[in-house]
Amino acid sequence: MLRTEEMILNVGPQHPSTHGVFRLILKIDGEIIHEATPVIGYLHRGTEKIAEDLQYTQIIPYTDRMDYLSAMTNNYVICHAVETMMGIEIPERAEYLRVIAMELGRVASHLVWWGTYLLDLGSQSPFLYAFRDREMIINLLTELSGARLTFNYMRIGGVKWDAPDGWIKKVQEFVPYMRRQLAGYHELVSGNEIFISRVKGVGKYTKNDAIAYSLSGANLRSTGVSWDVRKNDPYSLYDRFDFDVPVRQEGDALARYECRMAEIDQSLKIIEQACEQIPSKGPVLGKVPRMIRPPKGETFVRIESPRGEIGCYIASDGSKEPYRIKFRRPSFYNLQILPKLLKGENIANVIAILGAVDIVLGEVDG
Amino acid sequence: MNLEQPPSMEGFLSFFIYVVPFLIFVLSFVTFAILAERKVMGTMQLRSGPNRTGGRFGLLQTVADVFKLLLKEDTIPKDADRTLFKWSPILAFVPAFMVLAVIPFTKHFQFADIGIGLLYYVAISSLSVIGIVTGGWASNNKYSLIGGMRAAAQMISYEIPLVLSIVGVIFLAGSLNLNTIVGAQQSVWFILYQPVGFIIFYIASVAELNRVPFDLPEAESELVAGYLVEYSGFRFAIFMLAEYVYMFAMAAMTTVLFLGGWHPIPYFEMIPGAIWFAIKFSLIFFSLMWIRFTFPRIRGDQLMTFAWKGLIPISIINIFLTAIIYEILS
Amino acid sequence: MIGWLKGMKYTLNQGTKEKITYQYPEEPIPLPDRFRGIQKFYPEKCIVCNQCVNICPTDCIQLTGKKHPDPKKRGKIIETYDINFEICILCDLCTEVCPTEAIIMTNNFELAEYSRSKLYKNLDDLNNHVTNLREENKA
Repeated sequence: MLRTEEMILNVGPQHPSTHGVFRLILKIDGEIIHEATPVIGYLHRGTEKIAEDLQYTQIIPYTDRMDYLSAMTNNYVICHAVETMMGIEIPERAEYLRVIAMELGRVASHLVWWGTYLLDLGSQSPFLYAFRDREMIINLLTELSGARLTFNYMRIGGVKWDAPDGWIKKVQEFVPYMRRQLAGYHELVSGNEIFISRVKGVGKYTKNDAIAYSLSGANLRSTGVSWDVRKNDPYSLYDRFDFDVPVRQEGDALARYECRMAEIDQSLKIIEQACEQIPSKGPVLGKVPRMIRPPKGETFVRIESPRGEIGCYIASDGSKEPYRIKFRRPSFYNLQILPKLLKGENIANVIAILGAVDIVLGEVDG
Repeated sequence: MNLEQPPSMEGFLSFFIYVVPFLIFVLSFVTFAILAERKVMGTMQLRSGPNRTGGRFGLLQTVADVFKLLLKEDTIPKDADRTLFKWSPILAFVPAFMVLAVIPFTKHFQFADIGIGLLYYVAISSLSVIGIVTGGWASNNKYSLIGGMRAAAQMISYEIPLVLSIVGVIFLAGSLNLNTIVGAQQSVWFILYQPVGFIIFYIASVAELNRVPFDLPEAESELVAGYLVEYSGFRFAIFMLAEYVYMFAMAAMTTVLFLGGWHPIPYFEMIPGAIWFAIKFSLIFFSLMWIRFTFPRIRGDQLMTFAWKGLIPISIINIFLTAIIYEILS
Repeated sequence: MIGWLKGMKYTLNQGTKEKITYQYPEEPIPLPDRFRGIQKFYPEKCIVCNQCVNICPTDCIQLTGKKHPDPKKRGKIIETYDINFEICILCDLCTEVCPTEAIIMTNNFELAEYSRSKLYKNLDDLNNHVTNLREENKA
């Protein structure tokens, strides 16, 4: 008699498309998935626990390593939390530099996502094109901070370095270049029929699901919820810039793709405005006590990272080390919806769905 | 060569003497085809490609790769079906090489001028999927099993439009003999009479070759390497060789069937036929590479839909239209 | 139907563009002055204040000092100074806190070694480091 059998397929932790050490146990029947169980923790380094023994300044390099594709936003969230607790005033130039750095980081992060997502879908060249342009951003940020990925640029009360001579100008020149490249990307990929047929209607979920699973970032905005912390709960200087929050209604992988591509455009817009508004001179580090000791109490701040809403909770007992620190890591929350999305899907769609969620394993595992 | 002679030692030796140089030629073609592919890919992706081994242009890169593969440890998974595991690369390679016998490269350079050359090509070339399926199954690995199954489904589905698309060519030439088919294209190439047939043949051949956008059996980002997962060393090398030899055969076949084989375009008769063949062949080969660097991979169910609901009906309509127009005009 | 043709045109156009890769290691990669590579240490400048040890997030710096040999002078001089590059994350905090700029960053980043023991760099290793020094150390 002809019969079929369920098979357990172990995807990862070493697999080309899990974007790091992510493991997925799939129960499949033929190529149809009956059950998907994500296994995380292969990259767990205990950042939050280590941070309890560190001074606040020392935590900043550790946050670089959580979401290693946009370390600037992570730098910002910890600095922002401590600054909020201590009520530190940040010099304007420093804040502008932070915004420019963060938005450049966002563009770089989305470029990596774009390239790797297309690589997941089987297209090789976009990856290299994306990395060419990301390389330019990385070079700019290296000039600014001294490192390529783990910037460790922000300090409590300001930033480490002022921008080198001519750096702002270079950024201003980069913006129109990136716009042209972006148009090229749309030419290469966004109109490709095979690409559209791969992502359209794939990994669909509703607005209510997205909110119930606490998704954020493009994963949430692709379902029609206009929620961007930069707009809805402005921090830093974001209330001074004119930009839109790209929202799509469909809730599928294509909508997420479109959201992220539109976000690159909006980030460029912010960079452009910030480069114009930035005061030409001024201190880059505010008045900060030598030893940072936030007052006893607790605080929670949230900002918008490329992957969603990143939050930082600090409980301080008044000493130089935090009593407890907790990061709300958007990748971790965004990943929770995966088992639900994968049920009943084709194996080929696993990659399309997982890729569209845009996770960074350093952030998922903390 | 006379194919109708009774089997004898002399016959075997004379065939052997002809074939060995040709095998060496094909091997060197594969060596440089891989290099060319990597070079073109590098150029399109803003990098230089191989440029260390063998001078500035990396001319010996593939040779070095092959030697590395030959020197590597020969690993067979513990629970694999050892016999089939060893046989499947050969099963994949032999048909790919066998089909080269009937391809007329020039008017005189052909190994076997058999009457049903086209049928022979189609029949033999579809055998190489057996090697892939057995390889996928014998590895006893889930990824390679899925890869092998995908390969089987895909190659069987695309075999049909591949054959149906060339029926029009057979109508026009009135023969299954490849020499006659090329001869019939003396004045006008069949790509002009059979544009739809050409497009279907081209798409189906890309699918038969398991190349992007139809590279599902290997699907690096999904199935790691598909049916090749457990293969390493020289077995892997033979699989790769089979793939590229098959690509050579397919590109040559497209040239023969639709681009007029060795026939020159008018007013350029002074260039010899072999060169014309090489030019047309290279164009097809380049387009195969170009597609690979541009497209993402299609999904399995879309692949099937595309073959059964798209290519097959169109190619059947194409056959009828060809037949009707052919009747009216003649 | 047009979408994929546009893509084909794009990839073909890219073929005419200039290469963006570096011929590393034949040509060194251009790095900005602020780049953070293996530290350079000036023993004569060090005042053994221990600030770098205290600020290091990964505790990879170990140092010992001794009394100044000249009895008229106060303070200490450095005796040993070790950085463990197995755990150093090149975060730049040690050079930031150093009051005398005795430790600065360089542009040398090639840390791959065959042996772990070579990643323990002592005072001499860090002192003999003379190329690609960072020029501007304080913002």
